[in-house]
Amino acid sequence: MFLTEEGTVHALDDTCTHQDASLAAGWVENCRVECPLHESTFSLRTGEVDQPPAKRGVRVHQVTVQDGEVLVELSTAAPQLPPGVEVR
Amino acid sequence: MSLAPDGHLLIIGAGLAGYYTARQMRTQGHTGPITILGAEEHPAYDRPALSKAYLCGTTDLCDLYLDDPSDPLDVRWVRSDAVIGLSTQPLGVQTASGTFYLGDAVVIATGAEARRLGGHAIRSVEDAAALRAAPLAGARVAVIGGGFLALETAATCTTRGAGSVTVIAGEELPGLRRLGQPVAQALHRLHQEHGVRFLGSARALSVNPVPAAADGCRSVRPQARQPAALQGSQAPGPHSITLSDGRSIEADVVISAVGAVPATGWLTRSAVALDPVTGAVLADDTGFTGIPGVWAAGDCALWAAQRTGLRPVGHWQETVDQAQAVASALLGGIPSPMQEPYLWSDQHHVTIQAAGMLALADEVKVLAGTIESGDLLVSYLRDGTEIGILGMNRLREVVRWRRSRRVRPAALAA
Repeated sequence: MFLTEEGTVHALDDTCTHQDASLAAGWVENCRVECPLHESTFSLRTGEVDQPPAKRGVRVHQVTVQDGEVLVELSTAAPQLPPGVEVR
Repeated sequence: MSLAPDGHLLIIGAGLAGYYTARQMRTQGHTGPITILGAEEHPAYDRPALSKAYLCGTTDLCDLYLDDPSDPLDVRWVRSDAVIGLSTQPLGVQTASGTFYLGDAVVIATGAEARRLGGHAIRSVEDAAALRAAPLAGARVAVIGGGFLALETAATCTTRGAGSVTVIAGEELPGLRRLGQPVAQALHRLHQEHGVRFLGSARALSVNPVPAAADGCRSVRPQARQPAALQGSQAPGPHSITLSDGRSIEADVVISAVGAVPATGWLTRSAVALDPVTGAVLADDTGFTGIPGVWAAGDCALWAAQRTGLRPVGHWQETVDQAQAVASALLGGIPSPMQEPYLWSDQHHVTIQAAGMLALADEVKVLAGTIESGDLLVSYLRDGTEIGILGMNRLREVVRWRRSRRVRPAALAA
C-alpha cells in the first residue's frame, strides 16, 4: 500500500517482477515506486514498468477510500512474480 | 566528435555494457543503425544470478536475457563471432569469421574474463552451467576467493546441500580490507551459521588433481601433476589445494572466484592505449579513448576516475551508468552524471547493499543493528564526513541514502 505526498492511496503486489525484493521498501516519486535493488520503477496507477532490469509490470489492485477507510479489491489477474518465486 | 543521427554505431561485446549502451542510444534518440557483435552464442544475458538463482536451479538462461522478446531493441545482433582486431582507418573491426564490420563509431564493451586458478570458475553461463551440473550434494566444496562472488557461491553451495563448504578468502575475515571490521565480522558470522568454514588469511597457491584413490589401484601419470597455478586443472574428481601457510586441503569441487581480467587481448596491437597492469582500455570519464570514434565501457575499460581510485571497477551498476554516459557523449547531449557507486549481493537470505566511496573511507561507524543479528547499517567516513553506507537487509535506508545523493543532469548543466 502506498500513500503519496498528494494524498492518493495505491495498492500493488509487493514483489518486484525482476527479482525477489519488496517494493514497499522502495522510493516513491511522481506516482512511481523504484525497486530498492535496481532501477526499474513501476507506476502506482497502472503497475507498468519503465526500464530494465524488470521487463513486466506489477499487478495493481483497486483502491477506494470511503470515510477515511481504505478498501482494496484484489485483482483477479495472475501475479507477475520474478523467476523462481512462488506465491506463499 | 559525436555520432551523426543516421550514423552506424558498432558495439563490440554483447554483455551488460553492450546491451545498455544500445538501449541508452535508443532511449536518447539515436535513429541510425546499431550493430552488436558478440562472441557468445546466446542472446545478451545478465550475470548476477549466475552465482545465485541460476546456480540454485530456480532460474534458467532465458530468464536472464537482457533484451525483452516482447519489446526488443531495434538492434542488429551478431552472435558467435569474436572480434580479432580493430582498425582505425577505416574505422571498424575484423572478426574471427573473416568479416570486416565498418562503423561510424565503435564502443568497445568486451567485458572481462575470469582469472582461473583451477577447478570451476563463474563468469559465463557455461561456467555456471558446469557448476550447476556438478554433483554438489554431499560434496566437499572449496571456494577460492573472498569477494562477493566467492561468498555468494559458497552460500548457494550450502543451499544445494554440499557436505562441507570451505572458503579460502586470503584475509582474516571476508571483506575486511574493503568493507571494514564490523561488516567483515558480520559476514563471517552469517556464513559460519550456515556451516561455511573459513581458513583465515591463508591464500591458495595451486590446485592439483589428487593423483590416485587411497587404495592406490589407479595409475598415476606424471604429466598430470603439472603446476595448476598456471594452467588451472579442470579435471573432474578430488583436488588438493596448496595453501600459503603450508597446509593443503582436499575438495571434491573447487571453485575459483579470484577476480577477472579485461578481455582486451584482441587490442594489444591496436592504437588503443591499454592499462599496463590490467590490460584494460584506458578512457576518459565519458568513455572516449582518445582515438576518434573509439569509446569503451564496462569491465573491459578503465575510465580516468577508476584509474585514480575514485570509482569502483567491475560492478554491475557502474557499467550501467557508464553505458548511459557513453551514449550521452556519443550523441553530443548534456553529459549524464555518474551517481554514487552502488553494489549489492545476496547471501543466505541477507541482501547486502553498499553505496558511495567505501574504498576512500578512513573510519567505519555502526549506525544500527548488530554483528550477531546480521542487520548492520554502517556508515563510511573520510575526515569525519560520510562518504558511503552499507546495509544488511536495510533496503529502505540504503535506497534513501542513494536517492538523497542523486545527481540530476540539470544540476550539471546549471
